[in-house]
Amino acid sequence: MASLMRPTTLLRQTALASRSAAFARPAAVRAAAFQTSSRKSAILPAGPQVIQGGVNDPAPIPTPSAAHGSYHWAFERLVAAGLVPLTIAPFAAGSLNPTLDAIFCGTLLIHSHMGFQQVVIDYIPQKGWPKLRKGATWLLNLVTLMVGVGLYEFETNDVGITEGVKRVWTAKAGTE
Amino acid sequence: MFALRSSAPRVLGRVSAVRPATSTMLQRGMATVNDPPAEKEQSKMKTFSIYRWNPENPSEKPRMQSYTLDLNKTGPMMLDALIRIKNELDPTLTFRRSCREGICGSCAMNINGQNTLACLCRIPTESKDDVKLYPLPHTYVVKDLVPDLTHFYKQYKSIKPYLQRDTPSPDGKEYRQTKEDRKKLDGLYECILCACCSTSCPSYWWNSEEYLGPAILLQSYRWLADSRDERTAERKTNLENSMSLYRCHTILNCTRTCPKGLNPGKAIAEIKKQMALGA
Amino acid sequence: MLASRVGVAATRSAAKPFMAQNLPKLALAARVPATQYRPIATVKHTPAEGDQILAKQRLNRPVSPHLGIYKMNQTWFGSSAWTRITGCTLSGVAYLYFGSYLLAPLFGWHLESASLAAAFAGLPMLVNGGIKFLLGFPFAMHFFNGVKHLVLDTGRGYAKSTLVRVETAAWSFGILGGLFLAFGL
Repeated sequence: MASLMRPTTLLRQTALASRSAAFARPAAVRAAAFQTSSRKSAILPAGPQVIQGGVNDPAPIPTPSAAHGSYHWAFERLVAAGLVPLTIAPFAAGSLNPTLDAIFCGTLLIHSHMGFQQVVIDYIPQKGWPKLRKGATWLLNLVTLMVGVGLYEFETNDVGITEGVKRVWTAKAGTE
Repeated sequence: MFALRSSAPRVLGRVSAVRPATSTMLQRGMATVNDPPAEKEQSKMKTFSIYRWNPENPSEKPRMQSYTLDLNKTGPMMLDALIRIKNELDPTLTFRRSCREGICGSCAMNINGQNTLACLCRIPTESKDDVKLYPLPHTYVVKDLVPDLTHFYKQYKSIKPYLQRDTPSPDGKEYRQTKEDRKKLDGLYECILCACCSTSCPSYWWNSEEYLGPAILLQSYRWLADSRDERTAERKTNLENSMSLYRCHTILNCTRTCPKGLNPGKAIAEIKKQMALGA
Repeated sequence: MLASRVGVAATRSAAKPFMAQNLPKLALAARVPATQYRPIATVKHTPAEGDQILAKQRLNRPVSPHLGIYKMNQTWFGSSAWTRITGCTLSGVAYLYFGSYLLAPLFGWHLESASLAAAFAGLPMLVNGGIKFLLGFPFAMHFFNGVKHLVLDTGRGYAKSTLVRVETAAWSFGILGGLFLAFGL
């Protein structure tokens, strides 16, 4: 209501009208403090609006690269599709032989890495946060490499991923 | 002008589908300050809670403002209510509207949590809850319910939404296509670019700068699918990057929200398929 | 429109009550357009200056609310979002474990499968099952949704009714599958 009562230079006439309308039926118009998490809920705030170029210029088109486009997408799907039988197999056979287990590990690692990559691309926009984006991308690469080595160690020195999961999963008190 | 029309006797009805068409017409333009109270059979009050932000006072935070209307005196659609609020309660309320029949796409906004066109959205009468109106989500607000769609239109322009051909037509008259080829454009050409789908997409919320969003991609597919267009390869090359097309993660809010009943999600899937298979 | 005219007439009559009462209505009506004026001074701007003003206005604009107001079942409970959440949970746990496994010798931790199984077996039934559910639910959910997305990528299953049904199925499969993996095996 308060803002209704404050006529601005541009809208003096409408403000006058609104004043008379507001007087006529004060109960009908209520103003409430705006409670929204518009900025808090964003992963990273969008920042003030800046539009590059004139309103009639087209938005710029990024340099084409199939490796980041269709090849990347198709590879991602192939990996995901390949994981489906590899995940079902241990359920059916109890456990995988070492070769299949290694293939499963590798595919899983690629799948995880690509998934995390998408998260980084989605939530840390190149525009606005270029350094953070670069840092996150390299951190992910490093961690994936580390985990890859860890997986290799686990595969060679321990029982392998499917057998390991099975062992932990079915562990019951007193059986060990 | 409105007052003249509204003082004429009219069918004051609850919102129902069986009202004769003529009275609907009357009802649409209706908006009045001095309704004779005798006509009230049983007032059906509805509160509309509307997002307000005034660029004249930029330091003031956006807030929600409530308006209460008697639905017996209001048309059936959300846009009728908005127009009535603007006419009678608060002329400073700002929103876009034009055709009032879902063909211009101006009155796209977020109503009760879903993007839709105010002119195609009935005022819910079954529940007594307040109706909540927001501008299209994660857009920059010009004023109240008016979002800035400049970048959206710039993105539309970037996909070259027109027929591109080098070879003239065989008969020198028009570019013909078979009935089957024409059929491929059904469900695509009807898009009115209201931006409901794009602004319902979380991917577009976070990456609207570079991701084209469902509306523009549906348009993009409209030209990829057109048998008369000869720049298919170029169009596809322009989508070959991680941002323009591949930020789509098949969330499908676009398909769920489209007020025209189109399926942007499926159009995007078709583009991805074409790109992957090289077809 | 009517309201604004009423407002103008009201202020005018307040200013000159005597005149307004005595003037014939027609004459009053005739005076309205003649005395109406706009208290705005027009400033001339070149297009470039206009663009600058617009650019400045844009900087002030708020971002309209999104996650906070959009339909919950499409944002917070959407199966696509949960594919990501569950996937990140599973991969996060795997990354954490195998990363630690690599570093374990440095710090003297014992993370071999045998010792882990032993530690796990020592937990009470509910805690044990709870941890299994926290992994089993993401696995079942991610598996179902993963297959769903692979089917969607072939261009099938985009009808609105199908979407709703598949979403319900995803949640049922995730929760029931998770419970089965946690307590049924």
